[in-house]
Amino acid sequence: MCRAQEEEDERYSEAVRRRPELGLEQKCMKCKERSAVLIIRIGDAFCKDCFKEYFVHKFRAMLGKKRLIYPGEKVLLALSGGPASSSMFQQVQEGLSRDAPKKLRFVPGLVHIDEGAVRRQSLKEREKMVAEMESVLKMSGFPYQIIALEEVGRYRAVIQVFNLPSSVVQWVSKDIPDMADDYKAAVDGFLGHHTGVENAESGSRTCVQTKLAELSIEEPEPAASTGTFCLPSAQSTQALKQLFDSVRSLTAKEELLHTLRSHLLVHTARAQGYSKLMLGDSCTRLAVKFLTNISLGRGAFLAMDTGFSDRRYGDVVLVRPMREYSLKEISFYNQMFLVPTVFSPALNSKPSEKGSIHQLTETFINKLQSDFPSTVSTVYRTSEKLNVASSVEGPESVSAARCLFCLCPLDTRVEKASAFHATLISEHLSQRKSLDLPEAAVKKCCAESEERRCCKKPAARGSTTSRADERLNLLDLLCYGCRVTTKDLTTLDHLPHYVRSEADHRTHRTAMKKEIQEFLLHENADLEYVLKT
Amino acid sequence: MEVATRMRQNRHTLMLLARGCASLSLATEARPESNCGCAELLTGGGGGTWMFWRNLNTMPVCCNSCLEKNAVLKRPKTGHSLCKECFFTAFEEEVHQTIMSGQLFQRGETVGIGASGGKDSTVLAHVLKVLNERHDYGLALLLLSVDEGITGYRDDSLETVKRNQQQYDLPLKIVSYEELYGWTMDDIVKQVGLKNNCTFCGVFRRQALDRGAMILGVDKICTGHNADDIAETVLMNVLRGDIARLRRCTAVATGSEGAIPRCKPLKYAYEKEIVLYAYFKKLDYFSTECVYSPNAYRGHARAFLKDLEALRPSTILDIIHSGEHLSVKEDVRMPVQGNCSRCGYISSQALCKACVLLEGLNRGLPKLGIGKHQKLHHKLLAQEPLTEQERRKLKVLDL
Amino acid sequence: MAASVSLQLEFSGGAELLFGGVKKHHVTLPFQSDACDIRHLLVWIKQNLLQERPELFIQGDSVRPGILVLINDADWELMGELTYKLQDEDSITFISTLHGG
Repeated sequence: MCRAQEEEDERYSEAVRRRPELGLEQKCMKCKERSAVLIIRIGDAFCKDCFKEYFVHKFRAMLGKKRLIYPGEKVLLALSGGPASSSMFQQVQEGLSRDAPKKLRFVPGLVHIDEGAVRRQSLKEREKMVAEMESVLKMSGFPYQIIALEEVGRYRAVIQVFNLPSSVVQWVSKDIPDMADDYKAAVDGFLGHHTGVENAESGSRTCVQTKLAELSIEEPEPAASTGTFCLPSAQSTQALKQLFDSVRSLTAKEELLHTLRSHLLVHTARAQGYSKLMLGDSCTRLAVKFLTNISLGRGAFLAMDTGFSDRRYGDVVLVRPMREYSLKEISFYNQMFLVPTVFSPALNSKPSEKGSIHQLTETFINKLQSDFPSTVSTVYRTSEKLNVASSVEGPESVSAARCLFCLCPLDTRVEKASAFHATLISEHLSQRKSLDLPEAAVKKCCAESEERRCCKKPAARGSTTSRADERLNLLDLLCYGCRVTTKDLTTLDHLPHYVRSEADHRTHRTAMKKEIQEFLLHENADLEYVLKT
Repeated sequence: MEVATRMRQNRHTLMLLARGCASLSLATEARPESNCGCAELLTGGGGGTWMFWRNLNTMPVCCNSCLEKNAVLKRPKTGHSLCKECFFTAFEEEVHQTIMSGQLFQRGETVGIGASGGKDSTVLAHVLKVLNERHDYGLALLLLSVDEGITGYRDDSLETVKRNQQQYDLPLKIVSYEELYGWTMDDIVKQVGLKNNCTFCGVFRRQALDRGAMILGVDKICTGHNADDIAETVLMNVLRGDIARLRRCTAVATGSEGAIPRCKPLKYAYEKEIVLYAYFKKLDYFSTECVYSPNAYRGHARAFLKDLEALRPSTILDIIHSGEHLSVKEDVRMPVQGNCSRCGYISSQALCKACVLLEGLNRGLPKLGIGKHQKLHHKLLAQEPLTEQERRKLKVLDL
Repeated sequence: MAASVSLQLEFSGGAELLFGGVKKHHVTLPFQSDACDIRHLLVWIKQNLLQERPELFIQGDSVRPGILVLINDADWELMGELTYKLQDEDSITFISTLHGG
């Protein structure tokens, strides 16, 4: 069969042909006076001043257009030290400074996560990088925090990360349609009072703040608004390393790191009352992420994983204001306007590992981009056309189960004619039928024993069956993509405590729910009510 | 020979010992692999050991399903190892499940199998024939081939299809580009060169299958698209930003309005397994690259997919899962499907692609159907003459 | 132990086109059998048998992804892939999945 079916490749060869010859003395296409210093897209050459204006304008226009960040709102900037987030940081600083036209009016805070432990940096290297980072953050005068990734291991009861009260989710789904009006009211209120954060409580922002207060963390974080970094204990570093060593592929390591980092960022934001978290993903980065995530089976969540805003956490909304800048623009800007960046090494790979899907995709996109210069923007435009499936975000699914790792609505409750079921069938057909036993054994055990919780007892964790059970139970709580990642974990023993305890909690809850459901089968009682009391 | 066998046995024993010891100390999880005779070790045994014993290779690996025979392949979808018989059973049963869960056929239907003589359609014909008898689908199957008129390629592969016809005892219909369009691919290439010839071929083939099916009164057409093909199409559509195709390319069955419905029973079957199925069943298939240059852009996507598969074999199905769960914003404009005003075939434009291409060929303006020239379609319909400038744009570029 | 390794090599699924269209090759490798694995074999094939476009068959030190390898009619993924130690009279089959459909 010819591979060309339904093909039309003309566009691509056309694009290559149309690539302009780079004239040495090209004029800026905007002011038409000064000579150009960089070509942003095919045909668009800019001089330094016009480039700066374009770059700065784009940032504020993006935030202005989306009307998502309220005046006086606390916004946490996640800074890796890389070019895109550093550039974002610079834009925020500039946008908040007094003389800027179209001044930004939110209240920023900064956070950097030190991932040295999994990037195989020595303590010395980590200290050096943290010091470098700190000096950059300090200069801004904004409150900042530098946190070691090891912190995820410290959480014992950070179930809040996973266990948003259902009221939060209901609030989010109910109020979103009125957002535009809210925004206007908030802006008016802010301009009227003109005194700053305290007085910004107008319109629904009051509502936001109260709600936030209601669900604030039970154990307040000891950290002050600006926290000096203290190196984690050798023990916690060891634990984190153990976790990453138990991962069989670099692909899964990348995903795990992303998951843990997100938890830590959201937790930090939540603990300190930030309701927005700004991430510095560039257009190039998002195009790579888009294709990577398709390969990872995360197609259902592309709009959340790569979109401008991401509400999966309910009270803390992720925002990606850099998503219209290409990495080329960003790098040029940083270079020309002396934006400091801090280099961090790539995730460590053992020589036996063949690289990750992330790296492979990045190489592929970059190669394609150099042959077909519209690649990144085409993928970006595709991502713009997607949304979160209404079946998983609509009001009817407010209580829908969410993935334990990424908090996306589960995409595994699907019809039989699906890739997910095809895999399950293959798994079923490819092993001895008696291997299905664990599930049957659980049922038997529960039925025979008087003690209902027999098979969930932590004491039983040592034996092989309960390990297999734990794995099955965990997989059940994950979305398709996170399941694939988890299959590359050789053991669940090193997962952070909060993940495992929440998994236990949910599994237990489901089991209880089932029992009650069976019990109440003929009565018309409100299940949720019974569960709560 | 004897020495070699004995050596293998010895190593096998050594292996069992090694596994036995190692599994005491190392952490759990049943890996799909196991060695013959150590089924019990498998259930208790171990995660950590597999890297270790894989290095010692040459040991026959035992089938994960029957636990008796030696495995002949490692399944890319699940990582399990299966023997020949268990593989055949699993492969066929999975296609059966795809057919059942997707409700692809109804009893009494006549189903045309798009047969090219290549591996996918040969395996498809074989498996459908087997399943139709085994599960009593009650289908009338027939083979449907398209003769594009490519000397040294299609004439050879059609010989394979003719053999298949006899081997499977199925009726065969061949429709040719020449009788449908008045042009063979060889003629087309003479006019358009090797630049866009694949566009012509692809568009014409799609309609040719439909027309052949109509002549035979076929209710459904099924094609040999496998999981790799579909995953690749998902990637392609992302890279070219074709949101309409992106949304529908993972559907197992398509098209009801106007065209004859099509389905892809091998949608979840890996190319690797299809090739091995054909190899172990000794099926007769034809494998030569088309003599006219293969598609470069799709080549990139295919190579990328194969690299992904090498890193993580489940990726192919993971991509299909992604494709099945994409959700397109409601306000994104989608082409409205209508009918071609000339031939009546489904089309989102006034003229279907095949008619435009054909018009271009007949007028000596082959670029008419390549790229965006919709504005000229009404001119063609009204038989109006084109301006000199328009004509110049549509001629073959001299590169 | 044999001083050299005799192998039955087979190329199919379109891979034979890179070997002058010849599917079956009976070859004797000039290696000690205990020092010869598939990795060595691939290098030898590239140097001695491959007639055109080596990049369509070899990528890095392995076969190009999409070419299946069978060792005595079993998937090489079950046999340690590149590290499989060749035995005298082994039969190695290379099937391309990249041609036609």
